[in-house]
Amino acid sequence: MLVLRLALRTIMRRKGRMVLIGSLVAFGTFLSVFGTAFSSSAGEASRASIIDNFTGDLIVYSARSKELPSPFAFNTPLPNIRNADEVGRFLSASPEVLTWASFAQNYGLVQVERDGRKVDLPFIFYAVEPGPYRKVFPNVDVKDGSFFGIREDGALSPPGTGVTGDGSTGDRARGVMISAFQNGQYLRNYGVQLRVGERVTLLGITEGGANALPSRVTGIFEPKHYKSVFNYINFVDAATYSELYNYTGVTALPEALNAGLAAAQGGEDAIFGLADAGIGELDLGSLRSEALSGFTMIAVKLKDHATVDRFIAAIEATDGLEVKAARWDAASGFYASISKALQAFIWLATGLVFLVVALIFANTLIINVVERTAEIGTMRAIGSDKSFVRNMFLAETLILNLAAALVGMVAAGVVMAALSGGVPLPETISQFLIGGGRLPLRANAWHFVQTLVAVAVVSVLATLYPVRVATSITPLKAMSER
Amino acid sequence: MSVVELADVRKSYKLGDTVVEALRGVSVSIDKGEFLAIAGPSGSGKSTLLNMLGCIDVPSSGRVTIDGADVGGLSDRELTRYRRTKIGFIFQSFNLIPVLDVYENIEFPLLVKSKLTRKEREALVMRFIEEVGLDDRIKNKPNELSGGQRQRVAIARALVTRPLIVLADEPTANLDSGTGIRIVELMRSINESDKTTFIFSTHDAHIMREAKRVINVLDGKVVGYDGAEV
Ligand SMILES: Nc1ncnc2c1ncn2[C@@H]1O[C@H](COP(=O)(O)OP(=O)(O)O)[C@@H](O)[C@H]1O
Ligand SMILES: [Mg+2]
Repeated sequence: MLVLRLALRTIMRRKGRMVLIGSLVAFGTFLSVFGTAFSSSAGEASRASIIDNFTGDLIVYSARSKELPSPFAFNTPLPNIRNADEVGRFLSASPEVLTWASFAQNYGLVQVERDGRKVDLPFIFYAVEPGPYRKVFPNVDVKDGSFFGIREDGALSPPGTGVTGDGSTGDRARGVMISAFQNGQYLRNYGVQLRVGERVTLLGITEGGANALPSRVTGIFEPKHYKSVFNYINFVDAATYSELYNYTGVTALPEALNAGLAAAQGGEDAIFGLADAGIGELDLGSLRSEALSGFTMIAVKLKDHATVDRFIAAIEATDGLEVKAARWDAASGFYASISKALQAFIWLATGLVFLVVALIFANTLIINVVERTAEIGTMRAIGSDKSFVRNMFLAETLILNLAAALVGMVAAGVVMAALSGGVPLPETISQFLIGGGRLPLRANAWHFVQTLVAVAVVSVLATLYPVRVATSITPLKAMSER
Repeated sequence: MSVVELADVRKSYKLGDTVVEALRGVSVSIDKGEFLAIAGPSGSGKSTLLNMLGCIDVPSSGRVTIDGADVGGLSDRELTRYRRTKIGFIFQSFNLIPVLDVYENIEFPLLVKSKLTRKEREALVMRFIEEVGLDDRIKNKPNELSGGQRQRVAIARALVTRPLIVLADEPTANLDSGTGIRIVELMRSINESDKTTFIFSTHDAHIMREAKRVINVLDGKVVGYDGAEV
């Protein structure tokens, strides 16, 4: 084909300039492929990390809550989940659910005696059911003691390995887990360091004042990921937590009382009516007190992440649970936004590079057009239509840019293959982005196809103006001096 | 019968505030098979006149008739088709496509839009390569040729579409006088052998002498005809 032959040879004739432009396009292509692969890998790794460390695929929380659940909002605790048992049954019965763990955030004081002096150490914590929590969030690296007698896989430790100080083991290991970093802070600020197995008094602040509960330090741990936050977060087992904050209720109330209570919402008369109706006849002996969980959140992991939205709709629509659910990204606060911001930044940067390359490219093309004025005029004079001239320049552009894009893509492929062990990132960035460590780079064909389409489209756009200049050259210009 | 005719053609160019009148009412009629020179000093309007004949430019007023048809008001596309099918061009600076070799340059007008087969094209190209005596230069690029050789390629390229008229604007101006004469002789022999109409401009008296008819222009006007049969 004449147009292709002309285009190819014209490129070869202006090798130096074309190689320069081609290198720019190749660089842009490289950046685009690598950038999109990087940003989508970062997005994926960030999501996986957030799900594995904070939120699961979703967090179930009380329908009464006006705030979104956030695993870091210790100063604005969510309302308790009232029907925790029913929600639990729902989750157990849902085939989509892989595993789940209830927890709550709170803060309190650890009181410890040193040399006859009592020291109050403030701490923030997650109250967790140790087994389920560990199964859902494999983020705890136990340095000393045990995670409430629970192994890494969520199973009970064999007898004798749980450390409780009084010789009890396994499931009976109750108390607090202290982060190693936090313990270091205690030493720095209070001159005190907690030891595994030692007796402490936990002080919980409630509306009615401070509750004190004798307890123990069951272990010292380091978080594996997101050290910037988990270094400050400690753990309390659910039973201890419930006792500390008096999360107790009464069971076996007569139905009549419940009905009366419900009716009493209506007005004052009804409340006074209650006294006659029920209370007087209560058989106090039949009542039992029951420990309530105090859980505010349930992190749920699904077998297939893709079903998350459907599952949320299902649980919110189920009568009697009185819960809402937030996707991982809504529940993770700014952590999910970080990777989204990074992705936006990479898109923007790549777009900017493309724009600059396109401008330089268009400029070079215009120089080519001007240099070839007489040649184009001659072609027009001896019978070539404008469309021929346009096709010639389009062919030149596409041949050059697609070849350059190919080079850029091969380069990107090579670099990404070399980085198959993960991209090393500065630790502070990595901590925020993916919870720490190297970023596993996952490239797929889509990143290449996307870039190729972008190069083709941008190439054509960049030729629009130069082509207009070229097609407006009249046959009269055949006579112009070269 | 005339193949191309100008009737009271005027052409003016605007140069800032001033208007240059390159042609001031030119009427000429050129017959099939003519070997015609347009003579006149530099700036007299020769090129402008040839551009009107070749549909390279359009007159400010007046009528241009090619092959019996008025080309006034035709679109760019239609004018391009006229140039492609009815007219051959030879330029002062040869104007070959630098990236194409001799064969490809001559083939170019046939590739732009003709429906000829490869075989038919080859036959035509080879015929004219031989006619201009460049059979041993087929694969050479323009920059590997002398000026005279380049103009021969241009002549073959102008002829290959079998046009009604071949226009040559000072085809010898960039050649030494001996080569220039030989180029005009080549054109003349082709004119005699296959009756192609040639119209060329020149301000060189030696070249003018080769023409069967000469139109003299001065200040954008035809000032006389001379040179009957040589
Ligand atoms: N494109 C143009 N713009 C302005 N003036 C022009 C243009 N082309 C030709 N002229 C003017 O028209 C006159 C005739 O020019 P031209 O036809 O090139 O003469 P010749 O070919 O005989 O030297 C000259 O005065 C020239 O300056
Ligand atoms: Mg001239």
